[in-house]
Amino acid sequence: MSARAAVLARLAAAQRTARLPTPAAAKPLVSTPRSVAECRERFARELAGLGVDCHAESSPEAVRARVSALIEGKKVLSWDPDQMPYGVGALLSGAARGSSPRAEQAQAEIGVTGCHGAIAETGSLAVLSGPGHSRSVSLLPPVHVAIVSPPDFCFTMGEFFAREAGRIGAAACCTFITGPSRTADIELTLTLGVHGPGKVVVVVGP
Amino acid sequence: MSDPVQLFHTCLVNEIAPEVGMAAVRLLERLGHRVEVPLAQTCCGQPAYNAGFHDEAKAAARHTLDVLGATTGPIVIPSGSCGDMVIHQYEVLFRDEPEWRDKAHAVAERCRELSQFLADEWARMPDRPRLKARIAYHPSCHLLRGLGVSDAPLSLLRAIEGVTLAEVKDQDECCGFGGLFSVKQPEISGSMMERKLASVAASGAGRLVSCDLGCLMHLGGGLRRQGSPIAVQHLAQVLDEALP
Amino acid sequence: MNEAPAFPLRVRSALGDERLHVALGRATEALRSRRSAAIGSLEGFDEVRDLARKIKMELLADLSTHLQRFEERLVANGVTVHWAETGADANRIVGEIAKSHAVRRIVKSKSMATEETHLNHALQREGMEVVETDLGEYIVQLAEDRPSHIILPIIHLTREDVGDVMHRRIGVPRTGDPQTLAAYARAKLREEFLGADMGITGANFGVVETGTICLVTNEGNGRMVTTLPRVHVAVMGIEKLVPTLADLDAFLKLLARSATGQKITTYTTLIRGPRRAGDECGPEAMHVVLLDNGRSRILSGENAEILGCIRCGACLNACPIYKSIGGHAYGDTYPGPIGAIVTPGLRGLHGWSDLPAASTLCGACRDVCPIRLDIPRMLLGLRRDTVREEGAPLSLRLGLKVFAWIAPRPALYRAATRMARALLRFRARDGWLRHAPGLASGWTRMRDLRAPAARTFQQLWKERKS
Repeated sequence: MSARAAVLARLAAAQRTARLPTPAAAKPLVSTPRSVAECRERFARELAGLGVDCHAESSPEAVRARVSALIEGKKVLSWDPDQMPYGVGALLSGAARGSSPRAEQAQAEIGVTGCHGAIAETGSLAVLSGPGHSRSVSLLPPVHVAIVSPPDFCFTMGEFFAREAGRIGAAACCTFITGPSRTADIELTLTLGVHGPGKVVVVVGP
Repeated sequence: MSDPVQLFHTCLVNEIAPEVGMAAVRLLERLGHRVEVPLAQTCCGQPAYNAGFHDEAKAAARHTLDVLGATTGPIVIPSGSCGDMVIHQYEVLFRDEPEWRDKAHAVAERCRELSQFLADEWARMPDRPRLKARIAYHPSCHLLRGLGVSDAPLSLLRAIEGVTLAEVKDQDECCGFGGLFSVKQPEISGSMMERKLASVAASGAGRLVSCDLGCLMHLGGGLRRQGSPIAVQHLAQVLDEALP
Repeated sequence: MNEAPAFPLRVRSALGDERLHVALGRATEALRSRRSAAIGSLEGFDEVRDLARKIKMELLADLSTHLQRFEERLVANGVTVHWAETGADANRIVGEIAKSHAVRRIVKSKSMATEETHLNHALQREGMEVVETDLGEYIVQLAEDRPSHIILPIIHLTREDVGDVMHRRIGVPRTGDPQTLAAYARAKLREEFLGADMGITGANFGVVETGTICLVTNEGNGRMVTTLPRVHVAVMGIEKLVPTLADLDAFLKLLARSATGQKITTYTTLIRGPRRAGDECGPEAMHVVLLDNGRSRILSGENAEILGCIRCGACLNACPIYKSIGGHAYGDTYPGPIGAIVTPGLRGLHGWSDLPAASTLCGACRDVCPIRLDIPRMLLGLRRDTVREEGAPLSLRLGLKVFAWIAPRPALYRAATRMARALLRFRARDGWLRHAPGLASGWTRMRDLRAPAARTFQQLWKERKS
């Protein structure tokens, strides 16, 4: 008998004798839809609590100016230019990409991405893997800059799952990023940047 | 004529601290109740149950259910742990024996832990309690989490003019008694006791009050071993003392 | 088979360790207060717990169907699925996967399931290099120690201890500064991430509907080991499923809040399979090992609900016994209240019956459990099983047999208690005993014993009535 058959047989037998509680009906999770303005406000508040710098810019030019200032003089790793909103791609012609040699990617000082969702309730960025929007960009460099545009907003993760089911299904990996990488393993002392980016900056466009 | 109140006094009250039982009787009578004590009661069986000896626990439980089942009226229990045993655990113990489970259910419905019972009726108490004391209250685990009784003892203590409730760090944490645990794992029990007593001492209280004699014997024994002047009392004794 | 030194010895050693005591007190208090603050941030927290409990209990009732469906989806996603009846099987399977992919260097993200099976040792015996990448687990590995808390593995070590380990094992200049130590670890482990052939993870959740593995971390090592190496293996306990992504949402709301007091951990990663066509990174091959190792046996009994545990560690932080003795005293992978049930469940009661007995049944664990697991009920059941299967000391058995005989016979009961009272009163001074005999001697080791009363309550009552 294969291991699979053995485990399934044991489970089938176990389920017959299992003494499991039968909990009463429970309220399903519901979330009331929120306006973009509410999402924006809550998102900014959450980011502040996470120690993430959040820049709200009122025009595409301002977004580009902000990104330009952030990447000034730094080795950049980024999503492909055609994946970036607000024409930010034009600033990234010299940047390493997900298709660049790994050693080059690992040298980058700053990673620039867009996002596929911005979860207001928790201040999380949702990033899906795929050609031109590689996972390594938001993972390898010590600083991560993410550009958010209003259509990205939803209030809860549950809403994101519902809204983006198709895109999530097409991607190998979906990651929610909530603030900088952190650990408190040594005597409960907080340390940032082990192992993902220790600094996250969010630029929210109009 | 209304039903009398049946007192399930518990082993520890009977053998170690009968004055707690007498205080409970006086409190109930002051509230206008006629108190009866079913004399055939022995033990609820909790120590056996907690130690895993369920057959032995059932022997005590069946007798308890027979004795209490033969009475009428509310049943008052001056102990959170015995209260939880009779009110909740009997039905679990007899889960696979429908006849006894039903008897357990019928008895459980009539049972109230003492502070629950008193708090429900305290507005009818004709006399005003007065006592100058700084009291550290210890909520026993079976009372707090088993029976869900958290406010009743506090409201009764607050009703006493002159009583200050001391702030006890980690007040809801278990004192380490745990029935037979206190003798089967004495070092862990002792470690937990020391933590609790340190919090009590730091609170500046002159008295430690609880609704469970097990906890009181454990903590009181520890205080005595430390040579501490902090007095230890059951809630019934404090209320009794405070009334004229 | 329990190979650790006996429980009483482990307890004694832990209780004698003042530094451990301070560390445990500080850590559990911090985590408890963070949890309290975090659950305040979620409206309807208790209702989400009810929902999570319902989802898990219904799932467990038909686990075999859900597992098969999960496997179908995994396979459709391009994942190779393996079934492991025992821990040894899981280790063998992972070893074979590694060999089939010509793997030599392995990086691991924290996985309790693989600690349960002692996977690292098995792979190292096969000549493979395995590096733990969760900072706490990395230190544990360097120190050849064992984790003592589900969420904070090195809570029992000071910063100086960590500095010492890193100095001795990887040549880091001596320091006790956590930031410096973490920076060295980051640099060292980054080399490992970039050079590894295979990444091994556990799985916090497996989503049936989508065939997705969900990993929850704060450091990002979970992302590193599932993005950079060319092979990814996830070892998942068969009970870790949730039916849909919508259900996952509920569990994610509970897990981080209960574990660390965060609304959500820094990285929540949903992995559907190996890299897709056109992806620039991600593993070329992904394997999932479904681990039984005693879970089906637990499911068959009255402790089945323990399989609903989501490994948040809240029960450890609430438990006054854990606070006193720490994680190592529990002797196996899972410490605290959850360990007291899971360890005898997975390993068998023999040799582990001390664990369910080491509790006052205070219920603090049940109060904080996000799945509302009735831990005290299950501990009581295990104690009953212990008496039936393992027996008990003769004195206790005889004593309780006598008790069972006299408890329904009031006259005999009174006679027996009268004798006991007289004996204790005889030995008392000023109403107290400092040295009690027999079973009660454990009592007087720690505290004085109040002598029984001269007359019982019933005697006083009868006098009053007459």
